[in-house]
Parts: sequence; structure tokens; C-alpha cells
Amino acid sequence: MFRLAIKMTVARTGRLILTSLAVILGTAFLSGTFVFRDTINQTFDRLFADVFRDVNAYVRSTTFLELDFGGEQRAATPVSVLNTVRGVEGVTSATGDIQAFARVIGKDGKPLGSEGNGPPTFGSIASADSVGLWSVSEGRLPIGPTELILDQATATNGKFVVGDTVRVVAVRGSREFTMVGIANYGDVSSPGGATFALFDQPTASEFLLQPGFVDAILVEGDDSVSDEQLAERIDAALAADLKLETLTGAEITAEVQGQIKNVLSIFSTFLIVFSYIALGIGSFVIYNVFSITAAQRMRENALLRAIGASRRQVSRVLLIESTAMGVVGSLIGFGVGILLSQLLSALLKATGFAVPSRGLAISMSAFVNTFVAGVLVTILAAWLPARRAGRVPPLAALRDTALDTAGNLTRRIIIGLAIMALGGVSLAAGMRDAPIQVLGLGVLGVFTGILVLGPAIARPVALTLGIPIAKLRGPSGVMARQNAARNPKRTSRTAAPVLLGVALVTAFTALAASIRSEIRDTFGDAFSGDIALTVDARGFGGIPLSITDQIADLDGVAQVTGVGFTSVRLSDPNEPPALAQAGAGQRGVFVQTINPATITGLFDLGVTEGDLTSLGKDGIFVAADRATEKGWGIGTRLQVTRIDGAVIDAEIRGFVSGETSFANYVASREMFADTPSPIFDAFVYIKVAEGSAVDEVQARVAAITSDAGIGTLLSKEQFIDEQAAQINQILALIYGMLALSIIIAIVGIVITLLLSVFERRREIGLLRAVGMSKSQVRTTVRWESVITSLLGAVSGVVLGVVMGFVVVTTLDDEGDIAFKVPINETLSIVLIAFVLGVIAAIYPAWRATRVNIVEAIATT
Amino acid sequence: MTTLPPPSIAESLNIAAHAVSASKIYVTGDSEVHALDGVDVSFEKGKFTAIMGPSGSGKSTLMHCVAGLDSLTTGSVFISDIDLSLLNDKQLTELRREKVGFIFQAFNLIPTLSAEENILLPLSLGRRKGDTAWIDRVIDTISLRDRLNHRPSELSGGQQQRVAIARALASQPDIIFADEPTGNLDSKTGSEVLTFMRQAVTDLGQTIVMVTHDAVAASYADRIVFLADGKIAGEMFAPTAQKVLDYLKHLGE
Ligand SMILES: Nc1ncnc2c1ncn2[C@@H]1O[C@H](COP(=O)(O)OP(=O)(O)OP(=O)(O)O)[C@@H](O)[C@H]1O
Ligand SMILES: [Mg+2]
Repeated sequence: MFRLAIKMTVARTGRLILTSLAVILGTAFLSGTFVFRDTINQTFDRLFADVFRDVNAYVRSTTFLELDFGGEQRAATPVSVLNTVRGVEGVTSATGDIQAFARVIGKDGKPLGSEGNGPPTFGSIASADSVGLWSVSEGRLPIGPTELILDQATATNGKFVVGDTVRVVAVRGSREFTMVGIANYGDVSSPGGATFALFDQPTASEFLLQPGFVDAILVEGDDSVSDEQLAERIDAALAADLKLETLTGAEITAEVQGQIKNVLSIFSTFLIVFSYIALGIGSFVIYNVFSITAAQRMRENALLRAIGASRRQVSRVLLIESTAMGVVGSLIGFGVGILLSQLLSALLKATGFAVPSRGLAISMSAFVNTFVAGVLVTILAAWLPARRAGRVPPLAALRDTALDTAGNLTRRIIIGLAIMALGGVSLAAGMRDAPIQVLGLGVLGVFTGILVLGPAIARPVALTLGIPIAKLRGPSGVMARQNAARNPKRTSRTAAPVLLGVALVTAFTALAASIRSEIRDTFGDAFSGDIALTVDARGFGGIPLSITDQIADLDGVAQVTGVGFTSVRLSDPNEPPALAQAGAGQRGVFVQTINPATITGLFDLGVTEGDLTSLGKDGIFVAADRATEKGWGIGTRLQVTRIDGAVIDAEIRGFVSGETSFANYVASREMFADTPSPIFDAFVYIKVAEGSAVDEVQARVAAITSDAGIGTLLSKEQFIDEQAAQINQILALIYGMLALSIIIAIVGIVITLLLSVFERRREIGLLRAVGMSKSQVRTTVRWESVITSLLGAVSGVVLGVVMGFVVVTTLDDEGDIAFKVPINETLSIVLIAFVLGVIAAIYPAWRATRVNIVEAIATT
Repeated sequence: MTTLPPPSIAESLNIAAHAVSASKIYVTGDSEVHALDGVDVSFEKGKFTAIMGPSGSGKSTLMHCVAGLDSLTTGSVFISDIDLSLLNDKQLTELRREKVGFIFQAFNLIPTLSAEENILLPLSLGRRKGDTAWIDRVIDTISLRDRLNHRPSELSGGQQQRVAIARALASQPDIIFADEPTGNLDSKTGSEVLTFMRQAVTDLGQTIVMVTHDAVAASYADRIVFLADGKIAGEMFAPTAQKVLDYLKHLGE
């Protein structure tokens, strides 16, 4: 039997490759993301190993806050420590290191690098010591408060040459420097596309951080002792109250490598999840392909049964074939994935994150993961069709055509609706308080239900969708309509990837549209100014407070207030002490920093209790629901630990609704006035004085901001739009998913059509014989494809709108989020589905015209 | 029992289709098959011609080539005065749609279309309405008016063949080709179909060329052309089943 299976498989090499296409596609995404991740990790591993090559020890503060997304913020180190370290035996040189916000302004007055998205912009120290991370490739090192050097990539991109004047914005404001040189980071011109402005240590400390402080100290030893011993010696020399620690070169290298991997892993995990989803949707196509080929081979299988093959033997032939397909497909898919990873790198480069190329990393684990997943999914997808093939009665050998009945329709409808209803209920429950798994089960239930229901609705829906086509396209249209409806199971399975993608997108778009209009209302009420200055760089840099103050002094400005963010550690003295030991990093929380003196009447933070002017140096406002959750009230005392380690005994003096504050905690900027880790504003709200024209004032503000090269000026309307648009970032992910399911759907439709064309070649031959032209044949295939794709899109839209409605109404306790059907998006989705159908039909339609009439009608 | 040389074109101006030194060579691997080997034949208008011959003698090949479904290796084929070798695919398609009708042994109908839609298919492919009175008459003749909305799967084999004949007649083609149209039918249903074809020629003035193995079926024709080894082996007018059987015995089948 095994040999028969192999023979039958080999005899159909063409079809084997065709059906492997779905496997190839699914596994290619998977291997592509694996290879991409490994390649990037390897690149950064090598880069940092190179950069820290001469560093034997690394001194830094032990106080730090862990931030979201794997980052951390560490307290500064006093410069005086440099001398202590230099005095330690075995140290040849020590130099300060800073990595802080600084933005280079291009010759056109616009900042280099895109604001908010794109790689970060840094200011740092350039030093003569070989232990410094930068090496001068042209010109010389900067000396004194008016000189800087730039990294090679930034100098090239900004067309700066040695001797030019370069403007830089940092925490102390906006200044001009003379560029005296160009530097390289390790052996690359710029790590990951970030921009670097480099100064001597005193200038860097003063301009980027706080005079007398650096972020850390890089130490080079004379190799008389091991790095471990050197670190111990330095530690012993450091005063204990400074809370400093010394790492070896290897430790800091590993840590930096680990950090970048952490940051990247969010991105690559996301990609990998997407790839598994792709493989999941792809398994549908695989399942469909096996079902079709099994049906087409029913006669052959029945013949095998008639001459004595057992059910299991017949099933096994199919399973062996599917294994072969899984193996071949996964192997090819892995190869295609390597190409795909190159495409991803190119894409990343196009968005500004130039990843230095250090060769491909193809790991064994990437291969094994891809291969096992691909083969398993294929065999699983073939399981049901194979079992069904075994059950074919020997008599079927004598019957004519492959039958594809949808079985008992009423039963199907009842079961499908029941599953959907169950899914709907758990979806609604999941939206309320039930654990997230219930929500997942709900989504799964709804989709399973619709897939069970699919074959029952495919025929009537396809026939309805086909009415205008039959009217417009004459006999070809009639045939297309009938063909789309003739195998309801096949049609609904082919349309399934479209349906899944479209339903998800529609549901999320509907949800987003509703939330967006909610946000618009809230911010429209809260913001009573005329102009807003925003910077899209929360958590790292922003608008220096000096610029906010400058704006306040302008003519025609009635009121100005700045709002920023910073991280602190928050602990409730009444709660048992946190598990973390003293000195270790702890998870930080975001605090919104405001200026209580100027905010009232300009931006409504939604104060529900208390008076913002009571904040002072040690007051804090908390989002009402957070306070309820924690059992806090007015007067509750909380310990706020700033990044520099200072502990403030703060008191809750009021509550905010949390809808227009961007964080759960609000404090006055006074609380952070004396910290060496400076704070920035992220938003500056401006009210124009009565009698002054808004555009004139805006022009004056623009003069300041463009001089500083920072921020975006928005009118009130634009500001509100921008807040509402934040929801679009989530949508972008969803649209990525749509794109993915579109690609898979196209391949699925192409394969199905090709198999159908193959199956109907006699019919096509007959049609050609009685006078159907080639273009009419193409038309028939094309419209069948369009109907199939539209079937998926239309039922997907219906399902998505219903799901969106369920989600919005359950989410919305107060009934103030109005459910909105996203008309434009829905129409575009249907249009996309239409185009998708046309594209998918191109090749199968061409194949259909190649059917040889004489051979087709001669086939028995 | 008379064997006449093939009629030349000049002999009769009343010709629906004719082939001149038609040859068809199939090359498979390194062996050549002369499916047709210099055939000269013509089919008279308003006549029912049968083609007979042993299996593999080239009957189907001849029919496909004359009907414009396949092309000759050498020689030419004419329908009315049109040289098929000069036509491109589009023109050939239109020719088949308008001037030629087909009836095959089986799988004649499109399974997704109703009987009526199948009958009107060549017309609707050309976006023509056709002669309604004529179509009505054809439908009445096959007496399937009550089955017009049925799908082929809901019709018997004989009914399906009658629908196929109606389709071939509906567009009033210059010539109709039928390849063993009764091959799959029992003798009673077969004779029903043959009677109907005979009627189409006698009463409706159609031209039919039919390939058959069956002497009884052939006896419905006005004339029989015999093929052997890709060559014309003889001809018989006003055949009867007995005459045909005798001739075939003589031919050595
Ligand atoms: N596509 C092809 N390739 C190779 N040889 C072919 C092909 N089609 C037909 N032949 C050969 O050409 C010859 C004539 O075939 P044809 O089908 O015309 O015979 P026929 O008279 O219709 O036979 P039957 O009565 O069995 O239908 C045969 O020897 C056949 O093997
Ligand atoms: Mg034949």
C-alpha cells in the first residue's frame, strides 16, 4: 500500500506542488519571522560585543525603574566618582557615558529623524579614551561648550561637514554648536539608525542631563587582574552611600544585548503570533484542497475499495500523500521564508531603522519549528478528508461525477446557530468580568459556528450575489453564478479566509469608530484653548520646559500650560513591603506632570474631588477608579520614589476621572524640580488673548518651536482629531492581519479555481465546442472567483458588524458610546474583496482557456 | 452494393462541408499514427450522412477536423466556402457557434444549466435570440416542453440526448456533427433519437453527419461513408441494416 501511495503521489507531481502552495505560504511566514529575529539578534549581539570590547568594568547607580516594554531608567552617577575610579589600582582610564535625548536640527530647520516614530535621537559623550564607545573617523574630538561631533550616518543624512554650525535641542533648550568631527560607533556608522550628537563630558552633562552627573562610567583596566577582580576593587573604593555598583565588561555587554533582545522580542513575538495565525488560516486552505482532491478521486478510491482495499488502506494513501506534501511544502516554505526575512529587513530599512547587516542567521531551532509546525498542520488538515475518503462506498466507482453535497442542511443550520449563540454569550461574558479565556472561546465559538453554517448559506448567498453578474455578463455570468453555487462546501471553505479577515477587521473598525467618537467628545469638552503643541515622544525627551515658559511670554498669549510624563515608583506604606529588595529596580508607574498654576480653565483634567492648586511639592491626584480599587481616600499617604532615588512622602489630595488625564496619577512639576533626571512637557496648551488673531499667535509660537526644531502645532480641531486618531495604531495591526488573510485568501482561491477548472475541463471543452470564446471562458472563471470572494467579504462584514455591536454594547455601561457602523471602511473592504477575486482568477482563467477541446470531450 | 469514388466539389454545388486530401498525423514518442491519410470527402446539404469503420479507423478524427475542433496536419477543410485553416481561434469559435452543431456520445450538457438554457446556449453565447418560432418547433418536436426547467441530472439518458439534438438544431447551423449519439442508449431510446434526427433532416431540412458503429443506426442515413486505416474505403446510398452488415463483413471487420 505504501508503495502504491508513493506511486500515486509521484504521478501527480504538478498537483502536489499546487496543493503544497498553501503549506509553503503558511510556513514561509513562520520561517521568515524566525530567521528575521535570529538575524537581528545576532547583528546586535556582535555590534555590542564589538562596542564594549575595551570595557573591562562599568560603574552605574543601583537605583532604577523598570519601564514598560522592557526598558529601564537609571539614576545618574556623580562625575566626582570618575576620579575615585581612576585612582583604583589596575585602572588605566575611566570615562563618563551619557545616553540622553538630543535632537539634531537639519539645515532645513527640521529635526533629523522622524518625531515619535522611527529610531530614537541621542546625545552622548565623545572621549579620547579608547574605552569610549565612539571613535573619531574625521576631524577631532569636541572641546568646550560650543563644539560637537556627529555620528557618520547623521552627518551624511544632514549633509553636514566639519566646520558647519549645527543646532541641537536637548533638555536645556536649543543651542548652536560647531561641528568639529565625525565619529563611528564600533565599526558601524550609526547603531540601528539612531542619531547621535556627541560632546565633551562637561558640556554633555550640563546640556543633556544635569551639571556634574553622567549616566555611567566606562573603565579600562591594564589587564594585570581579571575583570572580576577589577570590578571588586572598584566596588571597594566606592562610597556606599552613593548607591553605585560595578559590572564587568562581559556583564554589561550581556545586559545590553539582553535589553535590545527584549525590546526586539516584543516586535518579533508579535510577528511570530501573526505567522501562526497565517498558518492557521492557511490550514483552512490545506483542508479545502484535500477535501477537493479527495472528492475528485472518489471514483479512483471506490475502485480501490471494490478490488479489495480496506478503508484504512484508502485513508492511508491520502495521509501518506499529505505527509509528503507537508514535508515538501515546509522545506520549500522554509527557503521562501529566508527570502521573506530579507524583505522584512528591507522594509525596516525603508522606515528608517537601518539594521547593520551582519549576515543571515539561520538557526536549527527556526528550521525545526517551521518544519514541525508545517508538517503537523498539513497532516491534521488532511485527517478528516482522508477518513472521509476511506468511507467511500465501492459502488461509487460506477457513479459518474464527484458528489459534494452539503449534507443535512437543517441539522447544519441548527448546530451552526447553536455554536454561534454559545460563542456570542461567552463573548459578551468575556467583555464583562469573565477571564480573557472566555472571550477567546467566544470568538472561537462564533467563528466555528459560522464555518459550520457556511455550506448552508453559501449557496443562497452566492446565487443572490450572482444575480447582477448573470444579468450583466450574459451566459458567462449565468455559468459563473451557477459554478459558485454548485459546491457549497467548497465555496464556503474557499471564502473562509476572506470571511475571517473581514469579520475581524470590521468588528475592530466598528469598535474603533465608536471609541473614536467617544474620545472626540471627551477631549472637545476638556480642551478650551486654541492651539496645542504636541510632541510624540512620551517617555523619552519632549518639549523642554524652557520652551513652554518662552511661549507664555509671547504677545497675544493669554494662558499657557504644559503637561508631561515621568515615571516613579509608588508604594503604599500600608501594604506589605514589596517583594523587591532595596536597590533593585521596580516597576514604575506613569505620572502626569502638570503646572497647577496655569492649567485651570485651559485643560480640564476631569477633577472629581479636590483642588489642583493644592498639589504643591508633595501632593498627588489619583484616577478615581484606581483609588477605589486600592481603597485609597483623600489624605492617604503614598511613597513616591523618583528616578534619582529621592523618596517623597506624598499625600492624595484629590481625584480625577481618568478620561482626559493620560496617566492614573497626576502631580505638580514642582515635585520634580530638583531632580538630575529632567522632565519634559509632552503637550503645551495655549489660549489666545481676546482681541488677538489665533493665526498670528500661532505664527509667533511657530517661530519658537521651529527655532527649537521640536513639536507639532495643532489647532483645537486638529488636536482633538489627533487624540481620536490614536486608536488608529491598534487598527494598523488589525489591517496587517487583513493583509495577511488577503494573501492567503488569494492563494486559496487560486488553488480552488485551478482544481475546479481541472475538474470541469470536459465541461469547458464542451462549452468551447458549442461556441464559447476564450474571453467568455475567462469571464466565467473570473466572476466565479469574484462571487466566492464577495461571499466571504459580505458574510464577514455582517458577522463583524454584529460582533462589533455586541462588544460595544457590553463594554459600554453608561450607554454613552454610540455604536457606529464604519460605512467607508466596509465599502472599501467589499471593494478589496472584489479586486481580490479578479486577481485570483487571472491564472486559473488562463488555464481554463488552455483546455484542449478534443481531449476534453474525448476523456471518459 | 455500389462503391463510388468520392464526389469532386465540382460535381455538386450543394455541399455543406468538404475535406480535401485531409491528413492527420499523431506523433507519440518516435512512432507516427496516420489517423487520417489523404481523405477527400464532402457532405451534401439537407442530407443525413453516416460515417462507419472499424475502431481506430479515424472516424472521430475526421469529424473533429471537419467541425473545426481540431486542425489537420495537411490538407484543407471547408464549411460552406470557408477554409477553416485560414481562421483564427476567435473566428473558429464564432463558426462553431453559428454554423456548426454538435452531439456527443455522452456528457453533452452543462450540468448547472437547465434543459432550456442548454438548448439556447450557443445562441446566448453569441448574444442572439435566434428564431423563436423555429426554436418552439424544435422543442415541440423533441416533446420535452414539460421538462425544460429540469437539470440534466434530472433527465434520462435519452432525454439528455434529445436536449443535445435540440441544442444543435436551435441555431439552425449549416451542419450538425454527431459522434455515436446513440452509443450509450438502449435500442428503443436509440431509435427514438435516430427517428428524431431523421425528422430534423427530412422535415426541417437540416444537414447531419453522424459517426456510428451500429448498422441499424446507420440505416437511418441517406448515405454511408466507410473509413478504414484513415482512408475512405467506400460509400453506400440508401442503406439498410442488412446491406450495411454485408458490406462490413466484406470489408473484413
Ligand atoms: N491524441 C492522440 N494521440 C495519438 N494518437 C491518437 C490521438 N487521437 C487518436 N489517435 C489515434 O488515431 C487513430 C484514429 O482515432 P479515432 O479516435 O479517430 O478513431 P475512431 O475511428 O473514432 O475509433 P472509435 O471507433 O474507437 O471511436 C487511432 O489509431 C488513435 O489511436
Ligand atoms: Mg471515435
